Amino acid sequence: MSIMEYNGGAVVAMVGKNCVAIACDKRLGVQAMTISTEFKKTFQVTPKTYIGLPGLATDVQTLAEKFRFKVNMYKLREEREIEPKTLAHLVSSTLYERRFGPWFVEPVIAGLDKENRPFICSTDLIGCINFAKDFVVSGTTSNQLFGMCESLWEPDLEPEELFETISQSLMNAVDRDCLSGWGAEVTVITPDKIITRTLRTRQD
Amino acid sequence: MDTLFGITGKDFVITAYDSKAVASITLMKIGEDKSRELNSHSIMLFSGEPGDGVHFSEYIERNVKLYGIRNGIELSPKAVASFARRELADSLRSRKPYSVNLLIGGYDVKTNKPSLYWLDHLASSAEVPFAAHGYGAYYCLSLLDRYHREDITEEEGVKLLQKCIQELRSRMILNMPDFVAKVVNKDGIRIVQL
Amino acid sequence: MDSLVAKYSNSASTSFDTEDSLNNNSGGWDAASQFALPSFDIPLVANPVDFLRAHTDPSAENRIRIQHGTTTLAFKFQGGIVVAVDSRASGGSYIASQTVKKVIEINPYLLGTMAGGAADCQYWERELGRRCRLYELRNKERISVAAASKILSNMVYDYKGMGLSMGTMITGWDKTGPQLFYVDSDGSRLRGEKFSVGSGSTFAYGVLDTGYDYNLSVPDAIELGRRAIYHATHRDAYSGGSINIFHVKESGWSFEGNYDVGALHWEYQALPKGPIA
Repeated sequence: MSIMEYNGGAVVAMVGKNCVAIACDKRLGVQAMTISTEFKKTFQVTPKTYIGLPGLATDVQTLAEKFRFKVNMYKLREEREIEPKTLAHLVSSTLYERRFGPWFVEPVIAGLDKENRPFICSTDLIGCINFAKDFVVSGTTSNQLFGMCESLWEPDLEPEELFETISQSLMNAVDRDCLSGWGAEVTVITPDKIITRTLRTRQD
Repeated sequence: MDTLFGITGKDFVITAYDSKAVASITLMKIGEDKSRELNSHSIMLFSGEPGDGVHFSEYIERNVKLYGIRNGIELSPKAVASFARRELADSLRSRKPYSVNLLIGGYDVKTNKPSLYWLDHLASSAEVPFAAHGYGAYYCLSLLDRYHREDITEEEGVKLLQKCIQELRSRMILNMPDFVAKVVNKDGIRIVQL
Repeated sequence: MDSLVAKYSNSASTSFDTEDSLNNNSGGWDAASQFALPSFDIPLVANPVDFLRAHTDPSAENRIRIQHGTTTLAFKFQGGIVVAVDSRASGGSYIASQTVKKVIEINPYLLGTMAGGAADCQYWERELGRRCRLYELRNKERISVAAASKILSNMVYDYKGMGLSMGTMITGWDKTGPQLFYVDSDGSRLRGEKFSVGSGSTFAYGVLDTGYDYNLSVPDAIELGRRAIYHATHRDAYSGGSINIFHVKESGWSFEGNYDVGALHWEYQALPKGPIA
């Protein structure tokens, strides 16, 4: 059993037309046993940037706190919000700091930059950044998510279409994974508003 | 491995631990306290590596009490759980980590709401309506799913706990009948008879 | 050319050709041959057991994943026996199927459940079905559940230590009434009133034990079985899909329905849970 599969979980992010979306499942398990179905894995870091942290639950929580601290410090020093691209590099170097004893998470970042251009990326657990123009996936369901995203995603989706696409991708992917699911949360980021919705999914 | 339970209700949290202290295959003592009162309205139950539980919970207890004395205001259950989680998480990546599973039950006197936090030995934490640690969890979580409601009364909470213990008595190969239950509500912490 | 083919096909096969050799020895049809154990090709390596283990171990690089993870239950009550199972097949954490039939209909009076290796359960319970039919034809009466379960137990016990994985309940109604046996690939065979088998069995027991009463009515017993499996699918990651329920009675077994857990969860959520007795 891999330590990355100890708690289970899935995160996916997608680019649309002047918008991005990020979604996660809500399960917290200890191997086969489900402990909580209210364990969210995406966190707001700036008004227009979210980070998703699937992986070992303890590190998900520690890193969420750590990134909040670092982003707040950045804001105080620079007197402006951190750009998603800058955040990606902050995440990357934070993870590489623990090259020989890593945090067991594979983060996903989604946001709009100061010109409201969509930005998404993912990194591995020691900070190798993967920039993408379409979608990024992470967590125990990544294989299934790749399959769903490859077939459902298309360029220039409007916010509501993007919501539908990412929701269907996630829901159908986690239905093929034992360790993820039990509810989902989807966030769509547009220049003027953020839409967060909870999905009613299978509970087995 | 020992079993812990926690159940929240309308205006209380009921927690329970089996009071047996075991060393290898020997029963050393019945009536061992596997809980610590962190402040007037929050309690921590522990299981896992013998010794670690007592040391860790007393360390948290002293710090939570110190906070209360220094600031003249007690930490809320949520704050206590966050503090304990972070201490456990930092210890996890130290040379000698604590190996303890925790339940933190509390009653928030500001919001008048009970809460229960489940933490495992890796310091993953979740706020839950009910929780269990140890092998007992495998038998009783489904049972709690079946019968638990958000608005149960204290009397019903005790009955539910008795159901769980009854199930363990009939199904677990390691028989452990000696449970001690403690209730946290607006008036503080007290032992209840099972 | 033919001789070449013959040479290699012979050397590649080390199966114990029981049927042929028995026929030759007795010079004709031999009744015993039909009860001989089926033969399997064994890999041509020094230790076949280690060979298989090396490829099915979780640590193996290219692991062969065999279906595992299940919740099944069966219990006796006033109206016969209720059998309820989930329908998920998983290989590792991948869900291979949500529509597996885990109740095997051996004959109109016998049911077997499936937990552990899917292929092992299917094959050996099919083989059990064949033998039960032969018994019926020879003796002009149905086999008892005790005898049937003992045949299964004996068959798999011959392969103990070779990697078979099977945890099954054999139920049915015979001359002595409703009968329930637990049989597994370790060689255990237990007669009992109430069993649950599989990774989600502990969760099912939790609900089953607290709701059980021998005097339950038929609809209540069926509901208890369904509820117990549902709660197991909710908490156990390796159980899920839909619930299949059977009722064993004097006239044989009857299928009592298939319920998708996806929809069932919200039905139960909308239902009041009632007071705690």
